[in-house]
Amino acid sequence: MIINFKGAKTYIGTGGKSLDNTKKTLCFLHGSGQNHFSFIQQARFFAYKGYSVIAPDMPAHGFSDGNPCKSIKENADWISDLLVDLKLKNVVVIGHSQGCLVALELNRILKSTLEALIFVAGSNEIPVNQFLLDLSKENPQKASQMMVTWGHGIDGDMSINKWPGHSHYGEGNNIMCMNKSTALKYDLHSCNDYSDGIDAAKNVKVPALAVLAKYDQMTPLKSGLKFVELIKNCETHILDCGHFLPSERPVELNSIINSFLSKLK
Amino acid sequence: MSENYKFDTLSLHAGHIPDKETGSRAVPIYQTTSYVFNSTEEAASLYNMEVGGHLYTRISNPTVAALEQRLAALEGGASALACSSGMAAMHLVISAICSSGDHIVASSKMYGANINLLQHTMPRFGVNTDFVNPNDPEAIKKAIKPNTKLVFGEVIGNPGLDIMDVPEIAKICNSKNIPLILDATFNTPYLMQPFKHGANIIVHSLTKWLGGHGIAIGGAIVNGGNFDWGDKDKFPTISGPHFALGGISFWEEFGPSALIAKIRAEGMYNFGPSLSPTNAFHLMQGIETLPLRMKKHIENTHSILDFLVSHEMVEWVKHPDLETHPDHEVAKRILPKGSGSIVAFGIKGGREAGKAFIESVQLASHLANVGDAKTLLIHPGSTTHSHLSSEAMKEGGLTDDMIRLSVGLEDFNDIKKDFERGFKAVKKLNK
Ligand SMILES: Cc1ncc(COP(=O)(O)O)c(C=O)c1O
Repeated sequence: MIINFKGAKTYIGTGGKSLDNTKKTLCFLHGSGQNHFSFIQQARFFAYKGYSVIAPDMPAHGFSDGNPCKSIKENADWISDLLVDLKLKNVVVIGHSQGCLVALELNRILKSTLEALIFVAGSNEIPVNQFLLDLSKENPQKASQMMVTWGHGIDGDMSINKWPGHSHYGEGNNIMCMNKSTALKYDLHSCNDYSDGIDAAKNVKVPALAVLAKYDQMTPLKSGLKFVELIKNCETHILDCGHFLPSERPVELNSIINSFLSKLK
Repeated sequence: MSENYKFDTLSLHAGHIPDKETGSRAVPIYQTTSYVFNSTEEAASLYNMEVGGHLYTRISNPTVAALEQRLAALEGGASALACSSGMAAMHLVISAICSSGDHIVASSKMYGANINLLQHTMPRFGVNTDFVNPNDPEAIKKAIKPNTKLVFGEVIGNPGLDIMDVPEIAKICNSKNIPLILDATFNTPYLMQPFKHGANIIVHSLTKWLGGHGIAIGGAIVNGGNFDWGDKDKFPTISGPHFALGGISFWEEFGPSALIAKIRAEGMYNFGPSLSPTNAFHLMQGIETLPLRMKKHIENTHSILDFLVSHEMVEWVKHPDLETHPDHEVAKRILPKGSGSIVAFGIKGGREAGKAFIESVQLASHLANVGDAKTLLIHPGSTTHSHLSSEAMKEGGLTDDMIRLSVGLEDFNDIKKDFERGFKAVKKLNK
């Protein structure tokens, strides 16, 4: 659906169902340079499992206009205001990559609204190398291509896909190309500059789930495992794929999320 | 991880990794119509396109999917869909985008069935086409109307061998937000990858060079993922609510792969031109050697061009790699590895001479196909284009004396000897 939010056209994927704010809401937060298409195989799946789903395109991403957020905190404030605007209560936040950092900050802001946190291919820190930071400014398209290549496990290289006929690389590149050209630069800087992750992770009080990727080159497994140690009682799973876990292992991820959600009150 | 494999490697490997259970190195032929569901929930979510997977072979099949994913990788596309023939691919894509009242701009110099579909069949369903010279970007621009929904052409036209200036035409289409759809059968991704030049959708007859051995009919649509279908007034059945799946918007749900998702949910469901898994396997076998074959096709083509150009019995020779071809400069720019292995030539003595030549060669086969590993010949005036008048043939850049040659992979000297046999028969006739 498209709404006018903070004066800008804002797109929110709802998985093909209209939003019902009386239900438990799953809020999917995309990663750097991504948009709601990161969750093609999650949004629709959970919208048809009795949940309300929102997968917003952050400002300047996907179908949303507006100026890109310039820090993780700004991203979190934007989402927090959006939840108020949409009158959503009982929210489970599901972040992928950068979306995990935003989720950690949301944990500080949201009070009773937040029911649980799910971290997909995440960590408490996402340092970005200078080369990629520079390239995201000079040639965002090239930077996107490199991220798509690094971001996938062997399924990317070999054009293996659970979705018949789809290519992770071809689809991934085009998903990133849909964003405004400055979006990636601000996302990567936001990740690189974020340094409150350790405290934020220790501060998680709601039930938490982490699904990490064995061959993640963007937020390496080692870093992800240190991160989950910081969170009290974080249920952790490791899948044999790359960073783009939602499209690389959709069935496994959905099943893990589903059973985690079923354990919530 | 992230090796970014090159074309030759992808031709062999893309779309398949040996599974842990059997270790089968070759892509298994999943000769099945249907797939057991683990639960009712799983079945429901497959039908509802919530996650990927197979439910019925008319819609998708693991062997066919391996072929599709190989094609997507070779073309650099977002997704691909394989179907029963090149013509099925063409019809699927046109019917996915156009509805009654819509308009198409297409090249006037194309394969006979492509022309027929647009000129005679689609108008019965309210979709009309204006045909324009593919070498004239200005004419294409002028032909575009408010209700034009796509521009269609062949990168290398069959059989006239006109070359479309893809980057120029793509710019025009892009500025008007109209998808450029190209039949890339004659070039294959080995010679040219249209998405790199701004095209949006590719259709292939896999029957030809991609399959490469004249053993299986098949087609494919490769979706670049680089087209914005978001205009709900212009593309209501892709971005607006669709009758299938509870008013789904394919564009909002699937983005770069919206078109392929729509074709699977509508075209494959309701028309059903599915590719058999066994044919998918045969076509994939062919693709494994595509780079090797295309190299040799081009090498032999260049040798044959030298031979024909200097032959006393040959009136004219047409191939875009020859400087005399009107599109030679465009060909050099967009097809630097060569412009395919189809050669057109006229034999001194006209229609009768052509007939005598074809009937006396032995190695080259007289048949209605192109892109086989074996050398093939045909006389379009009396076969593929026989339904067209001489004037209509001329409009399509054809003449009565024209022979279309599909250069194979035989030893060049053997092809040459065979052709000499044909020329000798013509000489006798001319005496
Ligand atoms: C350029 C071109 N496109 C499409 C086709 C149709 O392909 P198929 O025979 O696989 O339907 C052909 C067949 O000759 C062709 O030459």
